[in-house]
Amino acid sequence: MREALTLSFLLALSSTAVLLVVGGALAYSLRKPFPGKRIVESILLLPIALPPTVLGFYLLILLGPAGPIQKVIGVPLAFTFPGMLLGATLFSFPFAFTAFREAFLSLDEDLLETARTLGAGRLRIWREIILPLVWPGLLSGALLAFAHTLGEFGVVLMVGGNIPGKTQVASTYIYDLVENLEFKEANKASALMLVLAFSLIFLTRTLEERWRSVTASRNPSASR
Amino acid sequence: MEVRYRITKPIRLEVNFRISGLTALLGRSGEGKTTTLKALAGLIPARGSPYGGLRPEARPIGYLPQHHALFPHMTALANVAFPLQNLPPKTRKARALALLERFGLGALAGARPSELSGGQRQRVALARALARNPELLLLDEPTASLDREAREDIGDFLASLAEEEKTRILVATHDPELAQSAHWVVVLEKNRVVQEGPPSEVFTRPASLNVARLVGFSNLFPGQVSGFQDGYLLVETVAGTLWVKSEPLAPGTPVTLGVRPEEVLIVRKDRPLRVALRHNVIAGTIRRLRLQGPYVKAEFSGPLELKILLPRHVQDRLKLSPGQAVEVTLKPAYLQLFSSESFSSLS
Repeated sequence: MREALTLSFLLALSSTAVLLVVGGALAYSLRKPFPGKRIVESILLLPIALPPTVLGFYLLILLGPAGPIQKVIGVPLAFTFPGMLLGATLFSFPFAFTAFREAFLSLDEDLLETARTLGAGRLRIWREIILPLVWPGLLSGALLAFAHTLGEFGVVLMVGGNIPGKTQVASTYIYDLVENLEFKEANKASALMLVLAFSLIFLTRTLEERWRSVTASRNPSASR
Repeated sequence: MEVRYRITKPIRLEVNFRISGLTALLGRSGEGKTTTLKALAGLIPARGSPYGGLRPEARPIGYLPQHHALFPHMTALANVAFPLQNLPPKTRKARALALLERFGLGALAGARPSELSGGQRQRVALARALARNPELLLLDEPTASLDREAREDIGDFLASLAEEEKTRILVATHDPELAQSAHWVVVLEKNRVVQEGPPSEVFTRPASLNVARLVGFSNLFPGQVSGFQDGYLLVETVAGTLWVKSEPLAPGTPVTLGVRPEEVLIVRKDRPLRVALRHNVIAGTIRRLRLQGPYVKAEFSGPLELKILLPRHVQDRLKLSPGQAVEVTLKPAYLQLFSSESFSSLS
């Protein structure tokens, strides 16, 4: 149990870190309109509608032996932690991205422009205006992605293969327990996951509310 | 200060005008007022002078967008201290507090923008914009987020600010009342400057019908010059011959006449009219009366439809009521002549 849970945490933590950097950068750069924006966003949000098995299947082909990735880097990533990390990150991407996008979209462009006229350079604007205003949004997106990865089952099963001690995470561990009719142990593990999931979602909601109250005085600019 | 700017995006705009003391950039919405301010602030790509080519952070300007853009996560004090980063923390705080106190906001130094009223927010934003002693202050529609009382004061407040601080203020507005308090008025129409001058000139001698409407000539009607007599131009209208204080014009010239609603005079039977006023008397009835702040707005219907604005004390004396027959008179000096454009362009 401990081993599987540790791996779940490690997986969720690493995918959240990747999502914060990649998803955050993408959300910031996609806040302004450009041609083809809707197509790019649709692709990024695709994992929401895709069955985890479909995503897992394509990843398996991509990362498996004789797959294109192996040809490039020399080793197959299927049934390894990096492979699982890639799958989990892709699968949780829409959740994090949507929250990040919301946070950056709510940034009033007037604030950033006015800050420049008050003598602030880009770095100072990021440090003193953008980050303080968007961090609750970023954090709530990160927590949501973390919780989502922690509960992920389909993709990690397909790409990781549920190898105990190597790629078995909490969700696939519980699946194994139920299959082997070990209900007592499954009950314990499930209860723990329930408490964890609730705490994370509760924290996310709390942050969202706090964030709304801070940005409430924001005014949209409509004139040109 | 002479401004010459050429902008191609987001709209095509070429403007040349002067800024002197409190200058009002007057125009309807969508005529490029905000674009002009942003170009001067360096926030949109533009070519021109002053400050052409400089980054916004390097321009000696203060910029207040329509909703003031106070940083919502900072207190009023922190907002005002933001541009003073180069000062040591203690001096920085003291200077920010002094600025807030100057605008009567010392007690609200610790308040967040969401806890302030529209007028208070505006003053915090002004204090913040003035912190770096800018050469030019740019204000976008400062009356938009104010209640009526604060709106009436803002023009005088900005005019005295420009005088005390010896700073130039360019304020984009569609509000003629605010423009009247300015030292200089620049009228923007269809992305170009159509008239500029002191308000006394722009408001009494608008260069075109559109400017006339913008500065409050809401009564406009057609006529035709029929002659010139004793220094007055005679103009034939549906209300008969009207006498207009003007240079002579060739008989037969089509013209448009304009008069402000506050300059339509109601004839009092108990008082004899002076000679100049006797010519332009028009009889009709009062159709509607409506209270508008300290004024009474009346609609006069006769050979001409006229809007009339009376101070309340005048109405208290005249006791006009809807349906009442009255005579109005149009003072020849208050009748504005627009000769260059035909009446058809009015619609």
